[in-house]
Amino acid sequence: MAEKDKLIGGALAAACGLLTAGTPGSSAAAESEPKWDLETGFLYYGESDDRVKDASLSALAIRDFGDERKLSLGLTVDTLTGASPSGAISSEAPQTFTSPSGRGTYTTPAGEIPLDSSFHDTRVAASATWSQPFARLYNFNAGLDLSTEFDYQHLGLNAGVTRDFNQRNTTASFAVAYGTDKVKPVGNVPIPFAAMSDAVNEDDDAPLPGRGADSEDKDVLDVLVGITQVLGRHTLLRLNYSYSDSSGYLTDPYKILTVVDPITGDPVVRTPPPGVEGPSGVYLFEHRPDSRTRQGLYAELRHDFSGKVLQLGYRYSTDDWEIDSHTLEARFRVPFGASNYLEPHVRYYTQTAASFYRYSLTDGVALPEFASADARLADLDTWTLGLKYGHQTVRGNEWNTRLEIYRQTGNLPTRQLIGNQLSSAQMPDFDAVILQFSYHFKL
Amino acid sequence: MKPNPSTIVCLLIAFASLGLSGCANVGVKPWEREVLAREDMQPDTNRMDTAFDDHIYFSKEGSSGGRGFGGGGCGCN
Repeated sequence: MAEKDKLIGGALAAACGLLTAGTPGSSAAAESEPKWDLETGFLYYGESDDRVKDASLSALAIRDFGDERKLSLGLTVDTLTGASPSGAISSEAPQTFTSPSGRGTYTTPAGEIPLDSSFHDTRVAASATWSQPFARLYNFNAGLDLSTEFDYQHLGLNAGVTRDFNQRNTTASFAVAYGTDKVKPVGNVPIPFAAMSDAVNEDDDAPLPGRGADSEDKDVLDVLVGITQVLGRHTLLRLNYSYSDSSGYLTDPYKILTVVDPITGDPVVRTPPPGVEGPSGVYLFEHRPDSRTRQGLYAELRHDFSGKVLQLGYRYSTDDWEIDSHTLEARFRVPFGASNYLEPHVRYYTQTAASFYRYSLTDGVALPEFASADARLADLDTWTLGLKYGHQTVRGNEWNTRLEIYRQTGNLPTRQLIGNQLSSAQMPDFDAVILQFSYHFKL
Repeated sequence: MKPNPSTIVCLLIAFASLGLSGCANVGVKPWEREVLAREDMQPDTNRMDTAFDDHIYFSKEGSSGGRGFGGGGCGCN
């Protein structure tokens, strides 16, 4: 068995272009039994007001081939249902919209934020990573990941190297990831700022007005440089610098903006032709820049207080869309009894709005170069509060569960509001529940 | 605001300096790693939680990543 695993490990290492000979401690470690380290999890994520709900199953398996050579395999299946804000603003009158497929309509009651309820998807994601030492103090890893949805495909490659210094008290790391994605929106890709069209018959195969190609591409390059430092017998510090460059189709094909009256700020009213179902206002598909460069700094401190572990994290991120964000996070693991622990968790996130975020577009005014009313690009704050309970079984396995509340609050762009918007404008805020069960075991 | 390439270089130099020289005298001896070797002191503790969280926050917020590469690769809306 050990010999077979050694051969498999050697073959995988060869596939990564690495030599296994000369790895420190290889002869002794080859005798050790290989092990599977498995972690399985179920996650439920549910937003208030019948918005997005996600049920997700995930499994992560790590196979140890000895000599610190490891294969990690991951698989996740997500099922998403519910409604998502379309970007349109609320109105004192009911509003009708053409669905993304262009083959039906839906109506939002007066005073409510329009939600697109045709949001259903199943996502399958898989990943594989190989890691091993390749010289004294050096470790190498390489992997690939892919995911597929009804309207989205992703393929990514990543590679990284770590190097230990100072009696292994310092570990420097460098990693690169490249992802190439394909977006295939229902009803084809909208032309930037095209008006939402009237609905067509279910059996009408003609192209929808205002739609272009059936797919668009996006490429993302990520670079991560990090230092992990032992500060003492009880304290560990991690610092990361990250750089991310995205290019291609970065627009959300399902998000729209409302065209409003320049005096009242109310949605411009439109009447579809007789016998035709269509939008009750003028709604334009959004348009974002085709590139985005982001930089981030991340610091994480882990400290042991006589068995209790405090984890503090801070992230600063800035990008050329002018979204600057700060994230603060804390976890505190408190053991009790012989084999249990409780872990409270708190996270705060705040971001500034993207430079092209618009609450609405004004009728008769020239269109900006880019515009999006996606609330995720607005000035917003979020809070997460949670508690996790973990239990270790007599066989050394662990199961745990956590319950968290997530609250997102958008800040209105008051300088953009006009007319009645000053009293009626609202952001699509929501609360969500996160419930997770995990089981961690070894074979 | 376009990130300035010189900012990147400065940050990289700062990281390298911190790791390779500034921390040369910080740390523990190999026989002082009892606590650091514990599973709850490893950087990838809560691996499953982190993966789920990265995906949620990537889908709901304007910026992501930083801790690792996690979270992307979806058309989440």
